[in-house]
This record gives sequence, C-alpha cells and structure tokens, in this order.
Amino acid sequence: MSQKSAGKKQKQRRIIDTDVHERATYADLVPYLDHPWKRYITDNHWMQEKHMPYTQPTVAGVDRADAVTPDGGAAGTDLSFMQQQLLDAEGHEYGILTGALDPSPSSMHGWYEMATALASAYNDWQIENWLEKDDRLYGSVHIAAQDPQQAVREIERVGSHPKMVQILLPIDKTPWGDPFYHPIYEAAERYHLSIGMHHNEPPTHFGEWPRYFIEWHTMLPTAHMIEVSNMVFNGVFDKFPGLHLIMIEGGFTHAPHLMKKMDQQYKELRHEIPWVKRMPSDIMREHVRFTTQPVEEMNQKEFMQYIDQMGSEDMVCFATDYPHWDYDSPLEALPKLDEALAEKVYSENARASYPKLPQKQGSVT
Amino acid sequence: MMKEVVLKKEDIEPGKMKSASLGKIPIVVCRTKDGEFYAYANRCLHQGAPLSEGALVGDTKRTDVHGNYEYIKEGEILRCPWHGLEYDIKNDGCMLAEPDKKLRSFKVTIEDDYVVVHK
Ligand code: FES
Repeated sequence: MSQKSAGKKQKQRRIIDTDVHERATYADLVPYLDHPWKRYITDNHWMQEKHMPYTQPTVAGVDRADAVTPDGGAAGTDLSFMQQQLLDAEGHEYGILTGALDPSPSSMHGWYEMATALASAYNDWQIENWLEKDDRLYGSVHIAAQDPQQAVREIERVGSHPKMVQILLPIDKTPWGDPFYHPIYEAAERYHLSIGMHHNEPPTHFGEWPRYFIEWHTMLPTAHMIEVSNMVFNGVFDKFPGLHLIMIEGGFTHAPHLMKKMDQQYKELRHEIPWVKRMPSDIMREHVRFTTQPVEEMNQKEFMQYIDQMGSEDMVCFATDYPHWDYDSPLEALPKLDEALAEKVYSENARASYPKLPQKQGSVT
Repeated sequence: MMKEVVLKKEDIEPGKMKSASLGKIPIVVCRTKDGEFYAYANRCLHQGAPLSEGALVGDTKRTDVHGNYEYIKEGEILRCPWHGLEYDIKNDGCMLAEPDKKLRSFKVTIEDDYVVVHK
C-alpha cells in the first residue's frame, strides 16, 4: 500500500484542472493557414524542429497508454474521447487547455513570421474545435513571443474571446521576465488574461541535455525556478500588479525552497534590482501559482509541511496533465486534505488565478 | 473459495494480457511467453490505473557495470499504462521498485481449455 492510501477514496468534488493537453496535427492546422505558410507544410512537409534526445521510456511515448483514441489516433486529438475519459469520468467543472507544445510557436528558433502564422492558426483551431464545443473547456492564447509586437497583435485578435483565459509561454531557453517581453504582460492585464508557463524542452543541465531521461524529468522544476526568479527579479509583478502567473507541470514542492532562497538573496542584493519593492516571497504569494502535477507520493502531514513553508494555502492548483503518461488522478494523486484546503487546491485557487473563469456557483452534489 | 471461468485459453496469445472479471473484481489475466497464465487485480497500486491497458515487457538486469544493458524476463513484467510502475507477474506481482508491495493475485487453473480463476 502506498503511504497515501489511507486517504483514498476522495469524494467527488469540484475540479478545475489547470493542465489539459489537446493536440493538433499539422493537417488539422492547414485549413487555418494562408499561403505561403500552408504551402510550407503541405508541399515541404515543414514541422517544428524538436531536440529531445530520448526515446521516451514509458509505455506509450509521452502519453497515457489508455488515452489512444478509439480510432487509433494520438492521445488528445479527439474531443469526444477526452470528454468521456476525463471531463465526464472525473466530473470536471473546468479544464484549461494548454496545447501539446508541438507546434510551440514561442519555442521556434528564427522564422518568427511562420511562428506568428502558426500561433494564429492554432488559436482559431482551438476556438472552433474545442472551446466552442464544450462549455467546460477554457483556452490558452498561443503567441510567437519572440516578436512581442506580433504577439500583442495576436492577443488583441483573440484575447477577448470569452473562453480564452491565459497566454501560454513555453519554458524552454528564454527567460521571459526581460523587459523586451513586457508588452505581452501589458496586453495580458488589458485582456484579463493570466500567463501560463509550461515547460517544453528546456535543456535543464547547464544548457545541455543530461545523459538520461530520468535526470531531465527529475530536474524540470529547475527550469520553472529559473523562470519564476527571472519574472520576479525583473520586476514584472511590480510593473503589472494585476498579473497572475501559473507555473504548469513543475509540481510545487520546489516552491518553498525558492521562496526562502529568493528572500535571502533579496535581503543581501536588493540594491541591484531597485525596481523590485517587496520580498520575493510576498510577490509570489500574491502573483504566482504552482500546479500539483506531477506530484510526489506524500501523506497529508508531508503535504501540509510544504503548505506551511509556503506560508499560503492559495498557491497550489490541481492539474491532471491529461493525457500524458504522468497524469495525476483527481481522486488518487493527492492525500486527503481538510475540506477548506481541498476546495482551494482542487478549484478555488485556480478560479482566483483566472479572472475570466466563471464565479463559483451552487455546491457539488 | 470460489472459482470462475473468465476466458477461453485461446483468447490470450502467449505474451499478451486481457482484462476480465472475477465476480465484481476487475482482473487482468496475463499469459507469459512460456504459455503460463497469471491473474491479478486490474488496478495499479499507485493511482489505480487499469493495468490491462499497459504492456507486458521485460526488465533491465541490475548490474554493477555502468552502461551495461541486459534485457531479461521478456514478457514477464507488467508495466502500468500511466506512470510506468512495473510488476513481476511470475513473482507474485511484486513491484520491481519496491518488492514489498505486490498486486493482489489470484490462483489460475486451466480446465478443459478454459482459464479458471480462484478466489
Ligand atoms: S497509476 Fe500505475 S504507475 Fe501510477
């Protein structure tokens, strides 16, 4: 029996799932592209470069082996199967779509025009085929952030869609706190969108890939830590006081260390960043949220130790990461928590972090 | 003690597995490459994934030599479809990473070409 088994089974509850991966094939996007972009895909078989040197040592690549669609399609490509296997089965109130990171326009090296076109095509495809087909699904605005002016144009084009709740930035090689990217955050505030960061293929080990997948996957939170410290120390939250940042798929157990470390450094080195006016941990408690998945097995006492060290019950949001191999089950992944905290973790912290999500209604029966 | 016919022998090729039910208990019936049958509760000890959706694979033998890969027990390791925890189906369903944890196992007999599982 695992340590947390004593807490099983959790009751059916309100769930806002902060990481659900829908997947587009390049063929899906072609109808949403104009020439010449379309021709590069149809005639030249263009696809985004990918670098990860590992064959995924899991049963079905990066996917849950049971998430292959009934007609043999890739996991995450079929809305009705996702409804059946996730949204209906787990009783989701809402799921936030986070894409499949291929294509990931903001990760492209060069050819930002193509990245910009892809982002628009992706957003239109997402709106038409997912957001407008299921009330429970909310979306992420994909942008080509390497070109902030074009990125802002895309946010202005689709950011006011009622089902778009965040702007997605990949955690890859770019530290997004640099003032060069601040127009994106200005637009996010203007459109009441949060910023969601999800790792793509960050080379976590001194700018390189480590020898084994297990090393890379273990150390992914380091890439998340770099982004959070970069955003805080570059004064993003001082400059945009209404901004929410959701760190997706890095878990949360690294957060207490990061908060403590950043506070200590701030005490000693604050003169270097005079645009940061509060303790980093205070900024993070107000602006930064961490999603649970992939959660380490832990019991309630251990879970509460992390929460106590973070000094806030408001920072952790539940996520499944459906349909990926390290999916976390809403009923099984977390230990039993006190009801008030459980409600925050499973739904209310996310609701508070996405201003465009509908307010809480009624109670779960 | 109860027993139940759950499948026909020919329903499962060697090296394959299938889900079935023993009364109300969902089980997974595995057939190793040598033709033997094994039955376990069809629920991963970690987060409850249906094991029959995973794969029957092998293991890499523990070694003192870095870089040495020796593939053993082919078709004898049941690997969970989600996070990939592995269970040794010829060794009472022990989890490879933590052998003191094991799947609930059921005795299997073959009677007249039928797979019979006992509880
Ligand atoms: S549910 Fe089986 S490995 Fe996690």
